[in-house]
Amino acid sequence: MRATSWFCLCLLAQTPEELVRSGVEQFHKGRYLEARQTLEMALRQSPGQAHATTFLALSRAATGGCREAIADLAAQFSGPPGDLSRLAGIGLSQCYLAEGRFEEAYPVIRRLQALYPADADVLYQAAKLHLKAWNEAVFQMYQKTPASYRVNQLSAEIFEIQGRYSEAVAEYRKAIAKNPAAVNLHYRLGRALLMESHEPEALSRARKEFEAELQINPNDAVAEYQVAQILLSEQNNREAATRLERAVKLSPEFAEALVALGKIRLEDKRLEEAIGLLERAVQLQPKNEAARYSLMLAYRNAGRAEDALLQKTELDKLQKPPQGEFTEFLKKLGEKAPQQPKL
Amino acid sequence: MRLTLSALGLVLLLAGEVNVEFSNIAKQAGLAHSFPNGGAQSKQFIIETTGSGAAFLDYDNDGFLDVFLVSGEGGLSRLYHNNGRGRFDDVTSQFGITRTGWGQGVCAADFDNDGFTDLFVTYWGANVLYRNVGGKRFEDVTAQAGLRQDRVRYNTGCAFLDYDNDGHVDLFVANYAQFDPAVTPKPGENPYCWYRNIPVNCGPRGLPFDRNILYHNNGDGTFRDVSESSGAAAPSQNYSLSVLTGDFNGDGRTDIYVACDQTPSLLYINRGDGTFSEEALLRGVALDENGKALSGMGAAAGDTHGDGWLDIFRTNFSDERETLYRNLGKGNFEDATRAAGLFRNTRFVGWGCGFFDFDNDGWKDLLLVNGHAFPEVDRLRLDIRYKDRAILYRNQGGGVFADISERSGPGLLERHPARGAAFGDIDNDGAVEVLINNQNEPPTLLKRSGLSGNNWILLKLEGVRSNRGAVGARVRVTAGGRTQIDEVRSGGSYLSQNDPRLHFGLGRASRIERLEIDWPSGVRQVRRDLSVNRVVVVREP
Repeated sequence: MRATSWFCLCLLAQTPEELVRSGVEQFHKGRYLEARQTLEMALRQSPGQAHATTFLALSRAATGGCREAIADLAAQFSGPPGDLSRLAGIGLSQCYLAEGRFEEAYPVIRRLQALYPADADVLYQAAKLHLKAWNEAVFQMYQKTPASYRVNQLSAEIFEIQGRYSEAVAEYRKAIAKNPAAVNLHYRLGRALLMESHEPEALSRARKEFEAELQINPNDAVAEYQVAQILLSEQNNREAATRLERAVKLSPEFAEALVALGKIRLEDKRLEEAIGLLERAVQLQPKNEAARYSLMLAYRNAGRAEDALLQKTELDKLQKPPQGEFTEFLKKLGEKAPQQPKL
Repeated sequence: MRLTLSALGLVLLLAGEVNVEFSNIAKQAGLAHSFPNGGAQSKQFIIETTGSGAAFLDYDNDGFLDVFLVSGEGGLSRLYHNNGRGRFDDVTSQFGITRTGWGQGVCAADFDNDGFTDLFVTYWGANVLYRNVGGKRFEDVTAQAGLRQDRVRYNTGCAFLDYDNDGHVDLFVANYAQFDPAVTPKPGENPYCWYRNIPVNCGPRGLPFDRNILYHNNGDGTFRDVSESSGAAAPSQNYSLSVLTGDFNGDGRTDIYVACDQTPSLLYINRGDGTFSEEALLRGVALDENGKALSGMGAAAGDTHGDGWLDIFRTNFSDERETLYRNLGKGNFEDATRAAGLFRNTRFVGWGCGFFDFDNDGWKDLLLVNGHAFPEVDRLRLDIRYKDRAILYRNQGGGVFADISERSGPGLLERHPARGAAFGDIDNDGAVEVLINNQNEPPTLLKRSGLSGNNWILLKLEGVRSNRGAVGARVRVTAGGRTQIDEVRSGGSYLSQNDPRLHFGLGRASRIERLEIDWPSGVRQVRRDLSVNRVVVVREP
């Protein structure tokens, strides 16, 4: 109590400009409550200072006063882009999320992302918004339709993301039992089976599911592609090629299928055919490394050295590895005297 | 009953079945020491995952292969003498092997042409060149030889090679990354430090790259660093591990393949003017068939198809296929993994590997050893494990392999955190043994019980104008109407050194019709009508 009184007395001795400076400084040091008091006092002495108003709103937002802060944050954020507007936008989105006003948070975060696409704070807010919205939707689903096959499907997909493939497989099976005709369940189950085990037997189990998917949806080019991949690993190139041809017919812009078919033709030394397929794949997906790589080899094998080199140049660009985020810390390496290091 | 058994025998014969049983005889052979290599339950840093290599060499020229095993921090790399009666005696201290630290790789060759095989051991830290003094002791001549490094480097694979065919072996040393435990994040501290949702040691992604090194042998017991001028240092974005040498494009000059982790592997093509050009991508040995860089660990070369060209095999990480690159001729390759039947084992992290003809049928078979990089994977209770078994593929002829691991005896099925593997015939009986360095455990020595009944030959080459150990010599053996090739090489497998002698299985052929040797000096030597099932020493004319 005595400390607070002393703090207030100190503030009284300052000019409004000094108060704003102190308030902003306190805010940046994370002393939000003090900042709030200081800035409130500054604005009482000299109302209408935009800078102080924004930082007061930010301080309020940081201390549970979102309701009072939202109008000022929105006003600042709607102004021209800049540091203050960015802070206001982030504060505003935090307030909307805290208040459960997701619909209003979306446009704020969309604008922030457009203005600051590589800003960690902005991306964090975006992730938080989607996470909250996702949580809300899942909660509704589990609460209102607990017996639905969709609950099992979603559980399976979550397990897949977590790398718990056996549990994912079990949930997909439950979903299929509840709705055997649902599209995509057998496909997802097949994929989970492939991820669950490295044993060769997993291939035949997965193939069964992909074929089941095709029974339900004969036009599923991706399921055809998966079957072809399994056939390829069983060295059954001929049937794999047939399945890939069908996949390409169903989905002419399916670059991965074109690449797989191109590779079979390359292996069979049908170079012109391979080149045609792979050129199409590269045209569809210029950043597809598999397509570029196979096309480079096809050109090379066909004696088209210049074309092969061109593809190599493109591949080199695609292959540039990302530098690690702690690389900077390690740059100082290089000056140590030779010695046997110890950990 | 007899009829039934005969019928069964016939069926097995028709199916190409071979009765083969490998046992681990390390303990009874006296190889009982453990070789520490970081944590066995969890590993804080990547340096704990990459060691270490194994070597076969005959340091005292008594005709029997001796053993050298590299240790990580906390132990001593050890030299064992083969007494010729199935026992290896530890002679480490009396031979002056004293260096400790994070030992990684080993390669051997006679760098000073005095007739005795020398040893080079790589470290995270300072490498060491042990000169063999008359087969009586080894002396550390690293500094005198000009091989001291001016900073801490993460040296991994190495190989001696005579890239300019001047009669003196040069030295290539791969470098993995720049690594300093003081500034490297701990498990889980950033996205490069996770594996399947568990925190693991960080890297290599995220660690700064380093460059490979080529030392030229001056012929007076010293080396000079020619990395920049030769082009060895040019690739700058690769995590290099194993070094495999060979004349892959058939121009009579030794090229260098480097298996790289998480980055494209490298193929240095020897231009013949003291320089190399890196051509792995265009030649088809940098990536997998999908254009992706895999986590290359070990590498081996062999003519798997019998077409006279050296193919390249590379071990990779779990969830990746092993890779067999078939040499289409003149050093252009295609990914033949699937066609060769090597695509099913995707749960293993492979390390040491080698082509060897275990059944002497004239086709190079393939063995690789495994063990996950992260001990922590055992907590996941998946089918990938820190300690795992080896894989044996039998070449059924023409480069098509069958996985016979599970019916090849108990030695092969033992689970270990295996790394380096060296191949060599320790008792000169025509059956090749495999020495495996297991992290924090005694090594494994795989020996096949019983003989195949097929014939064989073991060739020891001695250079005169060429380097004394004949490193880089190419041999063609024609027997029973088939011709096989191989080369004398240093290094290879995973950070390891195989028997420098060349072993050929000959099937039922009872004579070698023609033996042709292209010596590094350019001399071609031909011998005809040789008897089989023996070690033959061939001196350069």
